[in-house]
Amino acid sequence: MTGLKRVTVVLLALVVIGSSLFAQGVKEEAKGQVTLNVLNYIDMSEPNSANEVRLVWEKFEKENPDIKIVREDLFNEPFHYKTEAYIASGQLPDVLYMWPSGRSTSLHTTGSVKDLMPLLERDGLVDDYNPAALAPQFSGFLGELPNGITTTHMLFVNKKVLRDNGLKLSTDYNDMKKMVSTLKAKGIELIAMDNMDDWVMQSCLFSMVVGRYGGTDWYDRLAAGKIKFTDDWFVKSLELIDDMYKSGMINRNTLSSPYGASRSSFATGKAAFLIDGDWATGSFMTDITTGDALINAKAQADDFELMVITNLPGEVVANSNSGVVGTGWGMSANIPAGSAKEEAAWRLIKYLQGEYVQTYRLTTGASFPSNLKVDVAKVAAEQNLEPFITKRAEYYNKYVPITPVIDGVLHSDVYNVINSGLQEIGLGSKAPRTVAAEVQRAWENFLKNN
Amino acid sequence: MAKVLTMADTKREQRRAYWSLVLPGFLLYIAVMAFPTIFSVVLSLTSYNGGKLFGGRPVEMVGLKWYKRLFADEYFYRALKNNLWIVLVSVLGQIPLGFFLAYVLYRGLVRARDFFQTMIYLPTVISTVVIGILWKSFFAPHGAFPELMRIFRPGYEYTMGSHPMIPVLFVILWMYSGMYMIIFMANLQKIDNAVIEAARIDGASEMQVLRHVILPALSGVIVVTAILAISGSLKSFDLIYVMTGGGPANRTSVLSIYMFDKAFKGAPNYPLANAISTVMVIISFALIGLTKFAENKFGGRE
Repeated sequence: MTGLKRVTVVLLALVVIGSSLFAQGVKEEAKGQVTLNVLNYIDMSEPNSANEVRLVWEKFEKENPDIKIVREDLFNEPFHYKTEAYIASGQLPDVLYMWPSGRSTSLHTTGSVKDLMPLLERDGLVDDYNPAALAPQFSGFLGELPNGITTTHMLFVNKKVLRDNGLKLSTDYNDMKKMVSTLKAKGIELIAMDNMDDWVMQSCLFSMVVGRYGGTDWYDRLAAGKIKFTDDWFVKSLELIDDMYKSGMINRNTLSSPYGASRSSFATGKAAFLIDGDWATGSFMTDITTGDALINAKAQADDFELMVITNLPGEVVANSNSGVVGTGWGMSANIPAGSAKEEAAWRLIKYLQGEYVQTYRLTTGASFPSNLKVDVAKVAAEQNLEPFITKRAEYYNKYVPITPVIDGVLHSDVYNVINSGLQEIGLGSKAPRTVAAEVQRAWENFLKNN
Repeated sequence: MAKVLTMADTKREQRRAYWSLVLPGFLLYIAVMAFPTIFSVVLSLTSYNGGKLFGGRPVEMVGLKWYKRLFADEYFYRALKNNLWIVLVSVLGQIPLGFFLAYVLYRGLVRARDFFQTMIYLPTVISTVVIGILWKSFFAPHGAFPELMRIFRPGYEYTMGSHPMIPVLFVILWMYSGMYMIIFMANLQKIDNAVIEAARIDGASEMQVLRHVILPALSGVIVVTAILAISGSLKSFDLIYVMTGGGPANRTSVLSIYMFDKAFKGAPNYPLANAISTVMVIISFALIGLTKFAENKFGGRE
């Protein structure tokens, strides 16, 4: 083959490939199909996760043939890192799972997502949602349409472990402390927790403790300069965590336990209590395809309870819990207003937070609905839902008031210092007062720079 | 009439050939190495924090602000210290161990040489993520390590304690020693066996053969492996990220994880992350300079 022939063949090949790609594009345009890139948050190791693909995503595509979904599934830290990379590159997916603040702070502060309230109002859907769920978020507007309200502290109780060891069910702080020696003697932990990821202690326990000592309005008073992190309310909160480690209520080895790892050891009786967020309920429930469950329905009814720790020594608010507007779905600000893509993205978000998907998420324990069309009691009765669903509904009514979650109200420049400080206390390498002083310094720097 | 090539024509031809060969590589180097490095240094001196560089929020030059913040952060020094621990374990652990294993296998001091060679090299070919997850489970509170320890010490509880880097350093030593073993084995095989046999016939002991025949022949390889170990240690990220994520309280963090956290954890701070990467480049240059110095002084005697 001569050189000229070779060049001709390569050029022809390029022309054929190029024209076929172009033809494909024209074909899709002709069909009027809109492609949506979606960043989904899902833990594929949890029961029912795989079903979500079939029962939620494939169903939507079947019902909406004019929309093609290109979905990316991620979980925990990799999800957040990828989101930050997307923001930095300015190439945000069209629809994405996000938080109202905290780990999604940059989505809000960089104006990367749209305000969804005008779309809700346009379609007359405002009254369909719990008003608390539609409160302005870190961006100052409705950056994501939430699944519901999330409480970040849930004390899962294994009553069978307590019974078998001659202990009476109590979530009173001092009573729990007294249980340590009895359980330790038998090689059982009092509280299971996964503190390797630094957000867990702050979100799932410390935020609730801060609310108890600081009051429901601690953040407002802090922001107004009326209180400091070096004051008693915050130091006492840190001292309580220190006390929990020192007394053995929480084992220091939880600092090497990755998030989610201790759920199975709790379910199998290696710990009497588990501290996690309300979202963890779903991981214990039955996988509808295999019928397997970490805690079966009978045990959920007879041997387990969903509660909070009560009567912290010196608390100023009793029985409270920490909570925040839940996670949900946001829309990229890059989508042109009034475009076909915006309509498609909005249709998807409405579907994901509509009656069908929120009912599905209720039945799997993934979240508690923000959509008022979902009648929890009716669904529970009709679908014979597992006891954890009804116990969860009772838990929400029982533990009030709701106080702020630290990473829901503070900037990461401050809450990262709190997260690290809590781990330092866990390691026994810093005193609570030292951590409090560092947090105050970080807060003052944040105020100075912003 | 054919043109007569002058000296000037030949030189021009040579220059053209030189540039046509060098330019693509040079441009590629500028695009993927030099430009990002310089750009990173520039970003570390600005207030840029994500979004569009041009037409977005205005970007200001802030001088050495982020470097000052970096050098005032205790966690920076902790990450740097951990990096130096890894360098130490790599140079003084992996290389001697790799050499020892290679020597034992090469001299046939154990049976089933192929089996041991495969087993020792195996960790190098397994995905780092798989290895990280495996060892994370091993050292977990309910993992195999605490269970094994309880056989000898009932009631033993594994905590991160004051030396959380020890499990990480152990895994690094375990994982990469096999690679150095293979490098040393390949080079040991290049040594003429007759020289060793002659030394033995002359009455040299095993240690004397090692000291006076083998080690001098491998001095150049030892320097190369040291460079590999140092540069590899500074890049450490994947294994530690999977095993501990740098925690608890940044106790197992290294510079790359520290930089990654600043760039992607919570509200990102890109200028600070770029300042960290600049410091990493400077440290790399310093260590490469050090190894070059060592190479000039001790290397190349084979």
